[in-house]
Amino acid sequence: MRLTYLNISFLISLLATVLFFSSPVLAGGGEAFFNKKGCLECHRVTGGPDETTIEAVLEKKGPELWYAGSKFRPGFIARWLTDPKPIRPMAYYSLTEKNKGDHVRLVPAEALEIAAYLMTLKSATVKPSGIRPHMNIKGKKVFGKEFSCYACHKIKNRKKVLGGLSGPSLVGTRARLNPDWIYAYLTNPRAFRPVMDMPVFAGLVSPKKISHLAEYVSSLE
Amino acid sequence: MLSGFLTVEAGTINVKQIYRFYCAQCHGTEGRGDGINDRPEMPVSPRDHTSRAEMSKLTDEEILDVINNGGEATGKSTVMPAFGKTLKVEEVEALKAYLRELCDC
Ligand code: HEC
Ligand code: HEC
Ligand code: HEC
Repeated sequence: MRLTYLNISFLISLLATVLFFSSPVLAGGGEAFFNKKGCLECHRVTGGPDETTIEAVLEKKGPELWYAGSKFRPGFIARWLTDPKPIRPMAYYSLTEKNKGDHVRLVPAEALEIAAYLMTLKSATVKPSGIRPHMNIKGKKVFGKEFSCYACHKIKNRKKVLGGLSGPSLVGTRARLNPDWIYAYLTNPRAFRPVMDMPVFAGLVSPKKISHLAEYVSSLE
Repeated sequence: MLSGFLTVEAGTINVKQIYRFYCAQCHGTEGRGDGINDRPEMPVSPRDHTSRAEMSKLTDEEILDVINNGGEATGKSTVMPAFGKTLKVEEVEALKAYLRELCDC
């Protein structure tokens, strides 16, 4: 009885593995996986910029992913999900607890499947903006002097990591964030996060300066 | 001082929550200038909002100005960001009143 059962379940899982690897973009596969793995408990993948009060923001258990396909660089999500090193120095929206680095870890096949699904989630606000990631000196000045963005964000400066702890680390932004999203986020943050603890900088300086800033930020290694 | 309380209690503005959400990351939850962004590598420390000596140097107009336009407005560091595009006018007013309570000045 027992043996038969084991044999059958082994055969089923073998079949599932074969099916999985032969057709990695099985219709709805990534989405189904996302739900099955409990990711929905902490990440919102539908709707729009809906957290319009401080209470709603503080209730979130993880960053919203409904525009993941516009936010992240191709390849980043799958890589990160197999080795989820902390991005935010603190636990999500916490002022006291450190990020323990205990995010769910996935095996590569699962990570690829889910990443393919997340990359289909786009925001219409993000358009080709011509932002070219490079060491834009004007942008660096806006970041360091005019707005002191490092007050809340870590960056790597001559191999040393410096900066505040309340915002996501900007170390490795070049491999993580889509430059067009960075520009859209800095010019129109409320299209993504109507309420958040990062101040709105759009409108304080010219759009030209914001594009210099986006070029610098998107180049951060 | 009293008007601070009135703003807090009469309106729908929860000024303590606003302070905790936007300001405490630098100024600390109790306003003592010891938030999580108060790191050794920063050029200046966030103001201790409970310090009467420091805070009594500022007029109401200067406090409103520095919240709206950032540290540069009062000749201070840009590490203090401008919140004029983030907060509503009433929220900035309520914060000013709250700061006056914190320093009792
Ligand atoms: C218990 C809550 C929780 C669950 C469950 C969870 N996550 Fe997360 N997730 C988080 C938090 C918190 C972060 C931020 C981590 C960091 O900054 O280091 C995060 C970050 C992410 C990111 C990077 C987002 C960004 O802005 O950098 C992705 C992608 C992601 N999660 C996908 C998933 C997937 C896929 C699953 C299911 C397998 C999942 N998460 C399950 C809480 C959760
Ligand atoms: C007062 C602190 C603070 C300052 C100053 C600040 N940020 Fe942020 N920033 C944050 C926080 C907090 C978040 C995350 C908000 C959220 O997830 O709701 C964030 C998010 C971001 C993101 C998106 C990262 C992600 O993974 O979601 C970028 C890019 C960014 N900030 C760039 C900047 C730049 C450029 C400046 C200077 C013009 C700046 N920040 C100044 C606190 C700050
Ligand atoms: C990114 C960190 C940061 C955040 C967030 C922040 N502050 Fe500050 N604040 C500072 C620093 C640093 C100083 C001291 C500047 C100096 O001495 O040059 C300061 C100074 C001040 C001062 C005194 C200015 C003066 O001329 O003496 C006031 C008032 C103030 N902040 C109010 C606020 C309020 C209200 C909030 C929330 C809406 C807030 N700050 C958010 C960093 C911050």
